[in-house]
Amino acid sequence: MDSPAKSQKSPTQNIAAKIFHSLNIISLFLMITSGLQIYNANPVFGGRTGLHIPPIFTLGAWLAGGRHWHFAAMWLFSLNLLGYGIYIFITRRWRHKFVGTNDIKAIQKTQNPKRLTYAWHRIIYTSIIPILLLAILTGIGMYKPAQFPWIVDMFGDWQALRIVHFASVPLITVFVIIHWQLGKKAGGDKLIESMFW
Amino acid sequence: MKKPKQKELIHLIKPQLTRRKLLQITGFSSIGTLLSSCGTPALEDLVGKLSEPVNQKVEQLIFQPQKLVPEFSINEIQPQELIVNSFRNTPIIDVDKFKLIIDGEVNNPLSLSMAEIQNLPLSSMIIRHVCVEGWAAIVQWGGICLRDLIALSQPKATVKYAFFESADGYYESWDLPSVTHPQTLLAYQKNGQQLQIENGAPLRLASPIKLGYKQSKWVTRVTLLSQLSNFKGYWEDQGYEWFAGL
Repeated sequence: MDSPAKSQKSPTQNIAAKIFHSLNIISLFLMITSGLQIYNANPVFGGRTGLHIPPIFTLGAWLAGGRHWHFAAMWLFSLNLLGYGIYIFITRRWRHKFVGTNDIKAIQKTQNPKRLTYAWHRIIYTSIIPILLLAILTGIGMYKPAQFPWIVDMFGDWQALRIVHFASVPLITVFVIIHWQLGKKAGGDKLIESMFW
Repeated sequence: MKKPKQKELIHLIKPQLTRRKLLQITGFSSIGTLLSSCGTPALEDLVGKLSEPVNQKVEQLIFQPQKLVPEFSINEIQPQELIVNSFRNTPIIDVDKFKLIIDGEVNNPLSLSMAEIQNLPLSSMIIRHVCVEGWAAIVQWGGICLRDLIALSQPKATVKYAFFESADGYYESWDLPSVTHPQTLLAYQKNGQQLQIENGAPLRLASPIKLGYKQSKWVTRVTLLSQLSNFKGYWEDQGYEWFAGL
């Protein structure tokens, strides 16, 4: 492949990171769209007459179809996340891939705008991990409330559990936008592309 | 009648289909075709067929047939939250002539009147009723433990399923461990009062371990079987999950 000579070498990513990243995007897309299909049966806010999501954002065509997609994609989503967890643990990436005290210091002190972007970005993509885990926890609570009643109790009541589970949708959407923009700011399109292929 | 006059009376607005408009419409409809593929029933069907057996295996694995689901206190009951969901109209039932039939692969088929059922020990529970639509309500249900009735009918060792028929034509089938769960009732009481017809009187299924659509109202017959027929349930036959455990 002939590309113009660059003084800076292109960012490279581990093949495993690329696979986890891509599968994560696919599974989250399926989870959100099928989740919104389920949501439409009885919206979290306002019940049957509440705010409905336009069909263009939904997957599965009807309630059972949305559930089929949601409970199929949940395997892809959670096993991918589990695989990623094992991967960063074994490779010891967890030690330096996520936000650390040096990033917090950088935000307070640095004059280097690149370092600042980098620090903010690490905060952002570290924060998505607990959000994704919370989505799984609240999801299990709603899927199997009789087998795991303590999950429902943890959140107070059923409606609170539904709201927290539903909050994954705006949180993840906002995350994707910020993650994308900060990634672009930190390493340009080359960094973005390096995350996929 | 003069033709020109009639023409003046009826103002027909003929749609003017310009080339631009036509292109727009064809554009929209092809976008529609593309997008509708996102929600095509055929694909969700396939996804369901592939994933449901796996999900069901896991559901059955984590299901504890004898473990009681924690109950709620009286002041936690949410009478307003329980929505009436029915697929057809409310049936008209003469309670004096009503009989609950328990038959199938049993040694002692039963035909019980409401008076006979209400003479049996009353079980009461305050549980969370969870609907497939996502809402839930804390409800008190009172009635007879289904497993006691099943025991009276002396089922054969081969029995693995129960098929429920309702007065409105609704039908359901359950796995035997869920049927004989201690909190699976045929209820005739709701929130401390006599069950109302719209909630399934005289007898309905009530259980904390299954989604709402499994809990048939107006149950008239329980047939114990060793094999499921092609009719698994009114909603299941249209694509809902069969096990639907909570």
